[in-house]
Amino acid sequence: MPKSINPAIRDFLDGRIWLRLHTPFTIEDINQQIEAGHIEIIQGIESKLVFMNRKSYTCNRCENTDQSKFTIFNCAKCEASCAYCRNCIKMGRVASCTELIVWKGEQPIYPTSHTLAWEGTLTPRQQQASDDLTRSQEINRSHLIYAVCGSGKTEILFPPIFHLLKQGKRVCIAAPRVDVILELEPRLRVAFPQTEIESLYGGAKPTMKASQLVLATTHQLYRFQHAFDAIFVDEADAFPYKADETLQKAVRKAVKPTKPIHFVTATPSDKLLVEAKSTGGISIINRRYHGHDLPTPAYISLWKYEHHIQKGRLPKKLTDWTNERIKKSEPFLIFFHHIGFMEKAEPLFQLIHPGIHSVHAAHPDRKTYVQALRDKAIPGLLTTTILERGITIQNVQVAVIGAEQRIFDKAALIQIGGRVGRSSAFPTGDFTLFHNGITYAMDEAKSEILKLNKGGGTNPDELPFM
Amino acid sequence: MNCLLCEQPKQSSPSWQSLIAIEKSTLICEDCSNQFKRVDIIEVGDNIDSITSIFTYNEAMRNYLHQYKFLQDIALAGVFSNELKQALSKKKAIIVPIPMHPTKKIERTFAQVDELLKAADVSFEDLLIKTNQEVMGEKTREERLSMSRLFQIKPQVEIESTTYILVDDIYTTGTTMQHAALTLKEAGAKTVHAVTLIRAASEQ
Repeated sequence: MPKSINPAIRDFLDGRIWLRLHTPFTIEDINQQIEAGHIEIIQGIESKLVFMNRKSYTCNRCENTDQSKFTIFNCAKCEASCAYCRNCIKMGRVASCTELIVWKGEQPIYPTSHTLAWEGTLTPRQQQASDDLTRSQEINRSHLIYAVCGSGKTEILFPPIFHLLKQGKRVCIAAPRVDVILELEPRLRVAFPQTEIESLYGGAKPTMKASQLVLATTHQLYRFQHAFDAIFVDEADAFPYKADETLQKAVRKAVKPTKPIHFVTATPSDKLLVEAKSTGGISIINRRYHGHDLPTPAYISLWKYEHHIQKGRLPKKLTDWTNERIKKSEPFLIFFHHIGFMEKAEPLFQLIHPGIHSVHAAHPDRKTYVQALRDKAIPGLLTTTILERGITIQNVQVAVIGAEQRIFDKAALIQIGGRVGRSSAFPTGDFTLFHNGITYAMDEAKSEILKLNKGGGTNPDELPFM
Repeated sequence: MNCLLCEQPKQSSPSWQSLIAIEKSTLICEDCSNQFKRVDIIEVGDNIDSITSIFTYNEAMRNYLHQYKFLQDIALAGVFSNELKQALSKKKAIIVPIPMHPTKKIERTFAQVDELLKAADVSFEDLLIKTNQEVMGEKTREERLSMSRLFQIKPQVEIESTTYILVDDIYTTGTTMQHAALTLKEAGAKTVHAVTLIRAASEQ
C-alpha cells in the first residue's frame, strides 16, 4: 500500500538529485513515493539575508553561489520574486519555487558478482600504482595517479574498480570532456561484461537500471548527491573542470561524505600534487608502457607568423615541415591557439595538399576527420587544443603554431607532445614548437619532459618539477 | 561581464556612442551576435496592415529560442533589446504583445513577449486574452484557418479608432497574428501593424 516502495523509482533516483516535475515517471507515481516517505523534497534555490538585507542565493543542485549567475524575475507560477540558477540551466531550470527530490528510502542492493575480462597484464610500475590505489581506497584516502601520456592509465584502474564492484560498491569514472567518456565506455564494457554500466553526458538517455559503474562528464555530476563509494576523475587538469569551481564541488557532492575522490592525469596541477604529497596518496609513472622516452620538443622560431598568415603567406619553415610529413607519409596534427586564425591558415595548407582540414570543438565533422586521419585518407589536420588529449593516432607527428600563446600552458604542451610515439611500433616522432618568442611555459614543459625521461619524479618527496 | 550565450568574457570595443550612452550595451559577445542574421522584411497580411520581422530563423536563433522559452532562461529577454526598441520606436501606436494562455504562462513562469518588451524598455498594454491552449505548429493549414477565434479583448478595455502594433516572438504561418488583428479591428481599431523578432519559413 502507500508504504510500498516502487523499485523502478528507487533504482533510478538512488544517489540522484532530480527535478520533481521532470522525472521519467508519472507525477502520480512520484507523489505516491513522496507520501510514503521514500522521497525527500528540497527547495531548488535557497536564499539567506546577508549584508544590507541583500539576498545571497545557493543552488541546491549544482551548489553554485556565484551571485552573478542568478537571475531574479517575477514568477508567474509562484507569484513572487523568484531566483534561478544559470550555472546548471542546461539541465532544466532550477528556480526558488522548483522542487528537487532525493531518494531517502531503502537503498538498492548492488550485485557482488562481477568479472574482470581484461586479458592484458600490467607492467610492474602499473601494478604498483594499481595496488597503491586499492590501498588508498581501503583507508578512504584520495589518491593521485600521476602517469605520463601513453603509460596506460585506464588499465591501472581496472583492479581497484573490480575490487570495489565485488564488494557491492558503486563507482563513478568522471572526465571533463565527453570524448574521454566515449573512448572509455567500450573499453570498460569489455573489461566488466557482467556489470551494469551507464554512460552519462549531454544528450545521453539515462538507463532506468540501478547502474553500479557510472561513466559521466563532470557536468552530469551536478545531478548526483552522495551516490558513490569512489570517484575516479580522469584528466583532472582539463578544461572546464580545472577552472570551474562548481564542477569540483559537483564531484565532492556526488561521492558519499567519507569516501575518496581519486585523480588520474599526466599533468597534475601544483595544487593537486601538493595535496597528494601531503596525504601520501600518490603514484608516479614516468615511463611509457613501451619503455621509450617521451618526445622532447624542438623549438623553431617563426617570427611574425600571424602577420604572414593573415596576409595569405605560409612561412617557408611551416611549408617545409608539412611537406616532409607528406613525403614520409606520416600523419600530422598542427595545433593553433585560435579558431579564426586557424581557418585563415587552412586554405594556405590546402595549397600544399587539398586533403588537409581543420577541426575544433564545435566542428560538425570532427569525428569524421579524425577517423580519416587514422585511416590515412587525409595527410593531416589543423586543430585547436580540443585534440590535445585523449586521442591516439599511430605514428602521428605534431607541431604547434604559436607555442608562445597563453593557451599553450605547460600542461597543454605536455599533453600535445603526449600524442607522439604512443604505440610500440612507432615509439618516437617529431614534436615541434613553432614560436614567436620562447615562454616560461615552453621551457617548463621541456624541462619536465627531460626530467621524466632521466627517471625523475619516481620519489614523491623529490617532485623536482614543482 | 560574460556573454549570456557562450559564457565567454565579452570584449567590448569602446566607441563614442557607448561613451555618451547612446548605444545600449549588449548582453552577448560579437561572435554570438554575428550568428544571428537580419531579414528586415515587411509583408502585408489578411486583416493586418503590415508585418515587420527583424531576424531569420537559423540555427543560432533556434538555440536562442530553445534556451529562452523551453529552458526558461529569462535573462535572455534582453538579447535583442536594441533591435526591438529600434523597430518599435518613432511610431505613434499602442503596442500590444501577443498573450499566452494563463495556464501556459504559469507553466513557463513568464510571458515571453512581455518580457522581451520590458527588457527593451518599450511600454505596452496587455489588451488581449488567449482563449485556447492549442499550439499552431501541430495543426494543418485547414485546421488553423477553421479555428474559432484565438483571442478576445480583455474585459473593460475600450479599443480606440487608432493604430495598434502587435508584437510576437516568431512569425511562421501568420494565423496567430491574423486572429489577433481581426479581434482588434472588430473591436474598433483603425490600423493594425505587427512586429516580430523572427521570421520563420512556413512549412507548407
